[in-house]
Amino acid sequence: MSSAPAYTVADLQELDDRCEAIAAQLGFEVPPIVYHLMRSTEIYDIAARGLPGRYSSSRFGAAYSQQHEQYRMGRSRIYELIVNTEPVRAYLLDGNSLVAQTLVIAHCAGHAWFFDNSCWFEPTDRAILPRVRSAAERIDGYMAEHGRDRVEDFIDACTAIAIHQPQAQMVRRAEPVDEVERPQRYDRLFPEEVAAERERLARERAERRARVPAEPEPDLLGFIEGHARGLEDWQRDVMTILHSEQAYFMPQLRTKIANEGLAVLCHQEICQRLFLPTDRYWEYEQLNASVVQPHLGQVNPYNLGITILREIMRIATEPDEEERERWAWAGSADPFEQVRTVCRTYDDEALLREFLTPAVCERARLFAFEHLHGDPRRVRVSSRECDAVRDVLIRQHATFGIPHIEIVDADYRGRGQLYLEHRAAGEEEPSLDPEYARGTLTQMAVLWGRPVIVHTVKDDEPVWYVGHPHGSSEETDEAP
Amino acid sequence: MTVVADDALPREQGRRDALHHRDRVRRKIVEQLKQRIGEEDIVASGPEKKLRVPVKGTRQWRFIFDRGEGSGVGQGDAEPGDVLGPPSGADGDGEGLAGSEPGEETYEVWLDMRDVEELLFSELALPRLKAKQAADLAETDIVYNDIARTGPQVDKKATLRANLARNARRGHAHVGDVDRVDLRYLSYREQPKPRHRAVVFCVMDISASMGTDRKRMARLFFYWCVQFLRRRYDQTEIVFVGHTTEAWEMSEPEFFGRVESGGTRVSSAYELVGEIQRRRFPAQEWNAYVLHTSDGDNFTADNHRTLELIERLATSCSLIGYLEVDSSGAAQPYKLSGFFAAHARDLDGFVAATAANDRELWPALKQFFAKHEVEEAVAS
Repeated sequence: MSSAPAYTVADLQELDDRCEAIAAQLGFEVPPIVYHLMRSTEIYDIAARGLPGRYSSSRFGAAYSQQHEQYRMGRSRIYELIVNTEPVRAYLLDGNSLVAQTLVIAHCAGHAWFFDNSCWFEPTDRAILPRVRSAAERIDGYMAEHGRDRVEDFIDACTAIAIHQPQAQMVRRAEPVDEVERPQRYDRLFPEEVAAERERLARERAERRARVPAEPEPDLLGFIEGHARGLEDWQRDVMTILHSEQAYFMPQLRTKIANEGLAVLCHQEICQRLFLPTDRYWEYEQLNASVVQPHLGQVNPYNLGITILREIMRIATEPDEEERERWAWAGSADPFEQVRTVCRTYDDEALLREFLTPAVCERARLFAFEHLHGDPRRVRVSSRECDAVRDVLIRQHATFGIPHIEIVDADYRGRGQLYLEHRAAGEEEPSLDPEYARGTLTQMAVLWGRPVIVHTVKDDEPVWYVGHPHGSSEETDEAP
Repeated sequence: MTVVADDALPREQGRRDALHHRDRVRRKIVEQLKQRIGEEDIVASGPEKKLRVPVKGTRQWRFIFDRGEGSGVGQGDAEPGDVLGPPSGADGDGEGLAGSEPGEETYEVWLDMRDVEELLFSELALPRLKAKQAADLAETDIVYNDIARTGPQVDKKATLRANLARNARRGHAHVGDVDRVDLRYLSYREQPKPRHRAVVFCVMDISASMGTDRKRMARLFFYWCVQFLRRRYDQTEIVFVGHTTEAWEMSEPEFFGRVESGGTRVSSAYELVGEIQRRRFPAQEWNAYVLHTSDGDNFTADNHRTLELIERLATSCSLIGYLEVDSSGAAQPYKLSGFFAAHARDLDGFVAATAANDRELWPALKQFFAKHEVEEAVAS
């Protein structure tokens, strides 16, 4: 596969046209995609950064050298990267064989359709690339001016919390509505009670206005950027950059299984219809198998995604009695259209909640496991029951594996300290990792300029972790 | 749909960032080595042995769930009750269950002593090292090693690079429209070809009051001094002097191995150093450095005599460094450190330091061999 590819750009163009035509037959209107053929160093550069042209950071350098080394040793290979812009941009490894490019182009058609149709991607800034590039140039300037280390340390501190953004991007939070003291019919009969009630409402309103933040704030970086004192202009700019670049990734985190599932479905269906000659078809099957093979000990989103979408297609055409009762469309829908309907509005959590059936569990060979105490790298398989598996998966995907943490007080006890609350999704949710909580809080304290506290529960007992701007941290079982 | 073949990335800098990363890790290693300089295993490891340095601090912090807790989902043919993951007790490299470990970076770097010393010593230099006998050996070298904005000879490559950079800053990276501001010139420096002959006097208090621990610290300190000098200044002469109430010049093995008893009269050592310098290392030909460790328990009556000798030596030496090894650390009034703090604070060329424990040896070493910009060029 590493030999020089025996194809031309014109071949790829033709391939692309055929893929597009087949996708259209299947009902997938694929938006325009611009493909770039790239050297491995370029592909791995983008992979390390997440977006092409992103700012310079030794964190990306570490990822780059590690991943590119894996590639050079033949242990892994990134065939393609795709960016949700207008037009969609896809980056193909120029050393891919023609069959690999075929699969990749068909796969990208699926992603591009998903970007275009999933409601979760509506807020995405499709013109992000020029912004990313100019941000990178500004950060270069800050590094020249303030020293590379200082800027990198600051970026690291921001990156620690950038992912804590409001997760329900579609839901705009309602402004807190004050209870209005409406004149009531019998008010005059109870003047004292009415006066007392009005006073209570006025007091509560005043309290709410005085509190910062007025409502618990899940946007950690955004809040600090807006409220921290003593930040320099360049620091606020860096915060804004990291915040908005992270926002680009949020819908992708939210729809990983559905998105990859649809891309696999597209490449499988399209490649079936390309009528590849036997030897090429054989190569395609091998590649396809390597993409969707299960990974022991974790979930391969390609595998789980395609298994769930195929299950939806089966229910659409050959449901059993129970399924007929459960889904009105069962047995009467066009399978591809049904998949599209689901993909338009479902995120991974909704997808798992509704379609992680026992059959999917069995076909994807899913199992639930529990960590062995005292040995984080070893786990004991606890169950193959679908309900148990689904509970765990949903819990993970409800928060993308990120603990839900909110700022509740920006002037804790009048000391200007930042007080956070960890809100566990349920009793099953594990507690915060103490070491990482303290490390992160120390970073936050540097940004905030004063101690930052998080309140959580460990072993059914309340616990507080505190990080200080000068780098120390502690754990207490009493409110600090 | 379009396929574009030859569209290079606007900024491809993976390799550059990887170098930045390596540099950062390297500095972290140096940081941690400095913490550990006093630890026996580093010293004891010798040139043959390799040293394992776990480097932390390059970790990307974030809020995560407890790593040893909770549940997850995997794929495969495992049955309930099966235990997955590397066998318990497995070390470092074992493939953990992917996803269960956050993006943590722990490097276990195997360094041989040469590398360790190289890393540490890159921060040190012999201060105030002067070229000696410059008058009769007035050799100079002309080195074209610089780029300047003015000069006699245009450096074409640098000029084009400046032009490219300027155009790139304005949005379009190309070479063209070369302007006066782009011009770069070759610049040279006239570098004297110096002869940096130096002699270092290692003076150690080996009296009875230097308990086992203090002796060990003093020896550790000199071990690193000697390693540093041999590595970076191979032309340097090292003279070993031990003293109790009197002082002797010693061989290196004697110096590191000998145990004496008796009281302390520090002045004896400085007398001997002055004598050796006069006889064998005249100041006009040799840079001279004196490093002295003691527990500071000198005969009080001897203190002023000692100071006198130090003052006299300071006129002909580039540095006199006094390190008081003691468990308390602070300069104490009844010890030499206290006496020096009161009387020799402003003495040019004299540096006094204290070390309470092994970890404070490196800061002391750095205080003596502080590296300044100017000296950097000649040190290498």
